[in-house]
Amino acid sequence: MKKLVTAVVLSLTALVSPAQAQKTLNLFNWNDYIADETVARFEQQCDCKVVQDYFSSTEEMMAKLLAGGGDYDVVIPTQNAVEALIKQGFLMPLDKSKLGNVKNMGPGFMNRSYDPGNQYSLPYAFTTTLIGYNENKLQELGIDPSDWRVIFDPTILAKIKGKVTVMDDSEELIAAALKYLGYSVNDTNEQHLKEAQAVILKAKPFWAAFNSSSYIKELTVGNIWVAHGYSSDMFQARSDAQEAGRPFTVGFVLPKQGAVLALDNMVIPKKARSPELAHQFINFMMAPENAAELTNIVGTGNPNAEAKRLIEPEILAINAIFPSEEQLKTLETISARNSKERRFTSRLWTEIKVR
Amino acid sequence: MKNGAKALLTLPPAVYLFLFFAVPGLLMLLASFRFPGDYGGLAPWYYVEDGAITFDLTLENWARLFETTLYLQLLLKSLLFAVLTTAICALLAYPLALTIAASPKKHRDLLILMVILPFWSNFLVRIYAWMIIFSPQGALTEGLNHITGLLGLEPVNLMFSSVAVITCLVYVHLPFMVLPLYANLEKHDPALLDAAQDLGATRAQRFWKVTWPLSLPGLYAGAVLVFIPTLGIFAIPDLLGGTNGIMIGNVIKQQFVESRDWPFGSVLSLVLTGITLVLVVLAGRLGRTPGALT
Repeated sequence: MKKLVTAVVLSLTALVSPAQAQKTLNLFNWNDYIADETVARFEQQCDCKVVQDYFSSTEEMMAKLLAGGGDYDVVIPTQNAVEALIKQGFLMPLDKSKLGNVKNMGPGFMNRSYDPGNQYSLPYAFTTTLIGYNENKLQELGIDPSDWRVIFDPTILAKIKGKVTVMDDSEELIAAALKYLGYSVNDTNEQHLKEAQAVILKAKPFWAAFNSSSYIKELTVGNIWVAHGYSSDMFQARSDAQEAGRPFTVGFVLPKQGAVLALDNMVIPKKARSPELAHQFINFMMAPENAAELTNIVGTGNPNAEAKRLIEPEILAINAIFPSEEQLKTLETISARNSKERRFTSRLWTEIKVR
Repeated sequence: MKNGAKALLTLPPAVYLFLFFAVPGLLMLLASFRFPGDYGGLAPWYYVEDGAITFDLTLENWARLFETTLYLQLLLKSLLFAVLTTAICALLAYPLALTIAASPKKHRDLLILMVILPFWSNFLVRIYAWMIIFSPQGALTEGLNHITGLLGLEPVNLMFSSVAVITCLVYVHLPFMVLPLYANLEKHDPALLDAAQDLGATRAQRFWKVTWPLSLPGLYAGAVLVFIPTLGIFAIPDLLGGTNGIMIGNVIKQQFVESRDWPFGSVLSLVLTGITLVLVVLAGRLGRTPGALT
């Protein structure tokens, strides 16, 4: 037994690596939301190490930040979370003198109502929340994926039972159900929200899972045929499936009823340990070649005007990533709900999960 | 003097329990009567206005538990999952522990090492490995569906199901059952079995009259070690449970993380803690049944 204990202790000590003397940038980001190449280039340029933590929903990120968890240098929140974080006094004002690349940003994405004058935040990328699908399977079954019915209508779901995942995210899923019903994603009418809950509960028995973190893999492998998720994730599922030489292609499309548009931003928390490095990172991400990689490799929409010319034209042509003027009219950003509304929706959500 | 030494020895665990069980428990009890804060956390529980203190407390969070039967149903389901997991673990672990205890001394350490070996890799990595095994493209599911196909049955789906959840719960907790059982069985005096044989007891009688009653404290200890973590677990149902596989731990986590409703999360946690305490006391009583070795 003594030998056993020694073996355990030895193997544990081997796991503890020597302390790092290098500077570290702690980045709190959405999963799969920056290219490895970009991270590597930044590490080389700043002679530092980037440590990433991931989240898969705004609620999850807010809960962790506001409970005091993690001293991050840069966080990538969506517009409604930026608004809430500013109200909480959680963010550090940005020092524009260190951010020369601001000039590259497209004017349409600057000075928005959630942060007038971009005092605390600068745009990073944008995505839409839509439907990713297995093109071959849906064609075989004659199902039209460009309609929220594909995840909410039981008559259609009956054909793809157990092959559908929806986001494990109260904001996104309730927003999708509201759109399906023809309401605004920011509808606060309790009756309308209850209708959305009823839609979700009716469709739930046909879904395989609530999933916000591994649907890329499930789509790529072919386990799932329809997934509700972010445009950038679907882009990756498609390229992964292509690279793996799967006998099917993954497609993605904006539902015709409209969908959620998310503007993600770079912010620095007040208690960041290396604000200097954080500014360096933000400036780095606004350089055209780095911003372009977000689109070319990760598949996000891009708020950087100068990066446009470096973006592959076939990606620029994808409507689900760069929506047309026409489609933009059907897209909505989610705004922050007040505490009473939040309590109401979170209660609906708990009931959805438990039932 | 002897009493003084005893008190000194029990002091550290008592302080530990006070700091890490009693104090947080009381904090949660207070939290369960408060309102949630706007962005998580808790709203102030009193405020001073014109020199008068007004308390801002509510019974709403407790009432919510009983407004629908949803939460009680989920609690019952979680208890069922935990009982099932404990029972399957016991069924698998007993013969294993018995075999290890009966094997030559020089092999025992190696065998026990093999039981603990999976602990050396990360818990989540092991769960993800199961996700691959259970996936529709996995060999297990394909093989199984080949058989169901031959029998003319509908293909089965293992991923995102209760079956997947319970399998993983058993897999993860099995060592917690094997170790206390082995520790108990190893200590049995072989002379007792010899004596029973001399007195004419058959093999079955020797097991049921000697080994089994003597092993009960180990079995109870193992059951408690498996049952309690299983009841509160959320990671496994989160990853493998699908839309219907969730347990009470998921809803508690959801209150603290996604919903940022700490008061209701506290209510659910307290209920779970209460149930666990009752069961541990019961198991403790059972473990002290007469005839047990101490």
